[in-house]
Amino acid sequence: MIQHLLHISHVSKHFGGNVAVSDVSFSVDEKQIFGLIGPNGAGKTTLFNCITGFFPATYGDVIFDNKKINSLRPDEVCHLGMVRTWQRVKPLGNLTVLENVMVGAFCITNSIREAEAIAQENLQSVGLTEYVGKSAGSLPIGLKKKLELARVLATHPKMLLLDEICGGLNYTETGSILDIIRSVREKGATIVFIEHDMKAVTSICDRIVVLNSGVKLAEGTPEEITNNPDVIAAYLGGGHHA
Amino acid sequence: MKQIVLIVILAAVAAAVPLFVGESPYFMGIMISVLMMAALSSAWNLLGGYAGQYSFGHAAYFGAGAYTTMILISLFNLNPILCIVAGMVVACIIALITGSIVFRLRGHYFALASIAVAEIVRLSVLNFEFTGGAQGILLSDVSLWGLDLNSKNPFYYGMLLVLVITLAITAQLRKSKTGFYLQAIREDQDAAASLGINLAFYKNKALLISAVLTSVLGSLYGVYIRFIDTSAVLDLKLSIEIILTAIIGGVGTLWGPVVGALLLVPLAEMLRSNYLGDVLVNAGLVSETSAFGLFLKENLAHAHVLVYGIITVLCILYLPKGILGLFRRVK
Repeated sequence: MIQHLLHISHVSKHFGGNVAVSDVSFSVDEKQIFGLIGPNGAGKTTLFNCITGFFPATYGDVIFDNKKINSLRPDEVCHLGMVRTWQRVKPLGNLTVLENVMVGAFCITNSIREAEAIAQENLQSVGLTEYVGKSAGSLPIGLKKKLELARVLATHPKMLLLDEICGGLNYTETGSILDIIRSVREKGATIVFIEHDMKAVTSICDRIVVLNSGVKLAEGTPEEITNNPDVIAAYLGGGHHA
Repeated sequence: MKQIVLIVILAAVAAAVPLFVGESPYFMGIMISVLMMAALSSAWNLLGGYAGQYSFGHAAYFGAGAYTTMILISLFNLNPILCIVAGMVVACIIALITGSIVFRLRGHYFALASIAVAEIVRLSVLNFEFTGGAQGILLSDVSLWGLDLNSKNPFYYGMLLVLVITLAITAQLRKSKTGFYLQAIREDQDAAASLGINLAFYKNKALLISAVLTSVLGSLYGVYIRFIDTSAVLDLKLSIEIILTAIIGGVGTLWGPVVGALLLVPLAEMLRSNYLGDVLVNAGLVSETSAFGLFLKENLAHAHVLVYGIITVLCILYLPKGILGLFRRVK
């Protein structure tokens, strides 16, 4: 596990008798854009929750930056440099856009002034500068997604886990989010992202893992994945005859 | 900074009040109650308004201060200042135990658990012997630095001082990392945790500050009234009054609790003393012997809790963000 930034080793998550994730392993290298795809209910978000400490994995290990992080709390994981966004956006609704991002920036500074500077910088990089004084709850969904992105970027993460950051967005909005993601990678961060939009995934990812019913179905480059008959079957149905 | 200046100016105005009404112990008594409720509600607001953790058990910390102080004075005749410090320590201990257990729970469960802790404290005090049980504790004599503790002035200034400190802490908090973190926790706990906020640590921090301030007020109250029992300082009713004052004034605002106390405490007093009935009768609008006059005299004085409740319901329906919420900038 020398140069892998994130290594997921035989992770399973059981909720009572229900197995949401079963024996999933993969590794993410530094500065990769790594896609995690699969039909609804495949266990993608659950896997994110296991990685970021929201629910500990039932079995298996999560190793980040050569540290075992299975039993760390979400805030400890964040301080190690791994931060996530949410499929259903979670703006701090009664705070302003600027204050939302400052909360993220306080991960790396104690000073109000510095936090504000970091926040402004990140708001600019996602193009939200004109909304700084607005309350976060009043933004439309596309801008809330960008706000989530600015907020996690303000923690200066080594790795971002983006949970359907393009979900519910139109073509132009998706494009601008993908541009931001590329520029974040240019600056040295690693990105794992869950996405349904196959076009978005294949256009941006270096490597993709496909989950289906909690099990890893395939792993490979975008070309390998789009040509994989198992993946096509899982997405289009049919295929699996018992 | 602007807020701090405002606090200082208003505190100076409040400090001058006894010079003008020094002869009226009744008025001073009401003013002390206003300051105390404003401070209690502001202290609660740190936890409830900023961190969004609604404690229904703040009477426990008030009672901790009051009982610790009264017991130490009556048994050992300790200096009241030392007793206040001891009360703070006891409140800290209760807060730390409560926080470490209860902050694992979220939302309504935290509110329920805070009631449970307060009831445990109340029932323990009621059943121990050294706390005076149901009889409470009566203090015959107390002295501090030659102050005239039979006069109301020392307590007026004491309550005012605690209120100013509480408001200053609140104003400072809003401009600090901790203040941002508490508000983030209020808005969304999962988002807060994912951004590196240690939820339990910051909630405990807010609870601890809130509990210590509350205990000081309890200590002052005990020495002021010189008699405490569980129904006066540990009752659920007190916890609820603290919350209502904040809600009606404006939760999560600096001045909301002060506005709430300025409105509710005199109102409760007016209703309790049947002020409204007297005014109507004296003005000749209502005959004292008429059915309505009798109703006012006989029933309204006992119905102050009801009126209080109606006002609360109206506020919740029409001013969900409290009185100060009306003036808040809508973005």
